[in-house]
Amino acid sequence: MARLEVSDAQKWFRREDGRSMKVLDRASFELREGSVTALIGPSGCGKTTLLNAIVGLERLDGGDLVFRNDDGQQQSRPLIGYVFQGPRLLPWKRVGDNIRLALQGANVPREEWETRVHKYLDLAGLSEFVDQYPLYLSGGQRQRVGLARALAIESGLVLMDEPFASVDELTARQLRETSRALCEQLHRTVLFVTHNLSEAAYMSDYVVVLSGRPARVQEYVENSLPTPRRWGPEVHQFAAELEGKLSSTQEAIA
Amino acid sequence: MSVTSGTQSTGEVQAEESAHDQDAPLARVSYTRSIAARVLPPALAVFSIVAIWWVLHQIFSDLLPSPADTAAAAVNLLSDGTFFFHMFQSLRRVFVGFAIAMAFSVAVGIYMGTVQAGERFFQPLVVLGLTIPGLMWSLIAVMLFGINEVAPYFAVAATIFPMLVINIWAGVKAMDKELIDMSSVFRFSPSQKIRQVITPQLVPNIFAATRYGLGLAWKVVVVVEMFGTGDGVGFQVMRSYQIFDMQAVIAWTLTFVLAMILIEYGLINLIERRMTAWRPKVDVWRR
Ligand SMILES: Nc1ncnc2c1ncn2[C@@H]1O[C@H](COP(=O)(O)OP(=O)(O)OP(=O)(O)O)[C@@H](O)[C@H]1O
Ligand SMILES: [Mg+2]
Repeated sequence: MARLEVSDAQKWFRREDGRSMKVLDRASFELREGSVTALIGPSGCGKTTLLNAIVGLERLDGGDLVFRNDDGQQQSRPLIGYVFQGPRLLPWKRVGDNIRLALQGANVPREEWETRVHKYLDLAGLSEFVDQYPLYLSGGQRQRVGLARALAIESGLVLMDEPFASVDELTARQLRETSRALCEQLHRTVLFVTHNLSEAAYMSDYVVVLSGRPARVQEYVENSLPTPRRWGPEVHQFAAELEGKLSSTQEAIA
Repeated sequence: MSVTSGTQSTGEVQAEESAHDQDAPLARVSYTRSIAARVLPPALAVFSIVAIWWVLHQIFSDLLPSPADTAAAAVNLLSDGTFFFHMFQSLRRVFVGFAIAMAFSVAVGIYMGTVQAGERFFQPLVVLGLTIPGLMWSLIAVMLFGINEVAPYFAVAATIFPMLVINIWAGVKAMDKELIDMSSVFRFSPSQKIRQVITPQLVPNIFAATRYGLGLAWKVVVVVEMFGTGDGVGFQVMRSYQIFDMQAVIAWTLTFVLAMILIEYGLINLIERRMTAWRPKVDVWRR
């Protein structure tokens, strides 16, 4: 069953010179219930725009977003956990308070806040920093706080925009493992953007390959690697396959 | 960790080194040097004013009393039992009037910066308000309310409101849109948005407005007190003027200025430091 159907999504941006620029060109795909979908495509093609449209920060100029609840009924936009492309923390709030504010917004009962804060900061490897101000953290640590915040609200739908891009490969690998395991365990529906094709291969159940701007869905690929995932040659082989698909979209533009 | 137990392929991110290792050697600036760096510049500023005053006194000795004589007169004022009463009356008028204006201007400034209709409605009023002199508001206030406490409060608030609003409105317009977007995605309530996202970004504007606004408020209070009240520093200055006692006029002014400097350094700087503790210190001219 689909949690979210994106059908014929279209988006134009007005440029400074007054002309409009097409960013999304009839993009259609679906996010299946409890699955992890990777969104890949060339830089500047419209991935962040698509995620922003899904959370409601941008209005689509055409097409539809259909959200469904647990029973498959159509519903209005649900609570969505969003890892932005940057950390987007409130710098005047301590790390823990940044997460608590999101918990409050999600109507999580106050008694649960401390457990959640600790559980998800632990997961991000940052429990020591709960009382630190964000500007005193490293870039990768801030991004991980953003990850902890998006997961902590335990929403059914999670969007992540290059969530592990600013941390080292080993930490990234551990974060991928923990977040994938967590999403499986809690049965989340996840859409994440990445430029790292091994990450796409390792994390995903489905892969949406976008073309260059304006973004069309070039391919919708099912990831048939067995779960639980293990790093190994199969992952790299699938990554190479994805790379082939991506570069063919690039050639299509040229 | 309980989250991942039961699944096979998990390795959690190694918790990082404790954030507060106690025996870490920190680079330190010498204590005496940092005190000197803090105290010397303002001391030099005060010294140069006194020096200029002293030179002027040498030239216009019959008109302008010397700094030393005035200081002596000011100390004399302090020993007079009514000094603190008058000082307190004036300070109260300054702060109450200022607080009223600040409350309104934060509300109106946020409204102007976030709702276009609000901007269109208030902008002409604010520009209009900026051109109305404090003296005018003081006259109007005393004529409207008579000789009582409402008059100075009203005159102060009305005079400084437009200037406070301009500062806060500018701050709201320069706000970080990305953080507002974040707060919308995570469903902050309108009051959470105002308290946790918008107002903290206005702190620099609020402090700039406070420093300027308190100075302006004091000027208005003195004017109102000259003809609209039976006490306060302005009332005392006016009495000294009527007997042409230049030394007393300056001594009263001086004591009030000192009180305001104490408030600036003791109170406002302290609050500002506490409210900006989240911001690492920057040194632009470091080489
Ligand atoms: N608010 C905006 N106004 C005008 N143009 C925009 C706006 N936001 C994005 N764009 C344009 O839309 C295009 C797609 O941007 P988007 O951020 O979605 O790319 P992306 O696929 O996320 O790229 P990257 O992988 O580099 O993050 C870009 O060419 C960008 O210039
Ligand atoms: Mg992007």
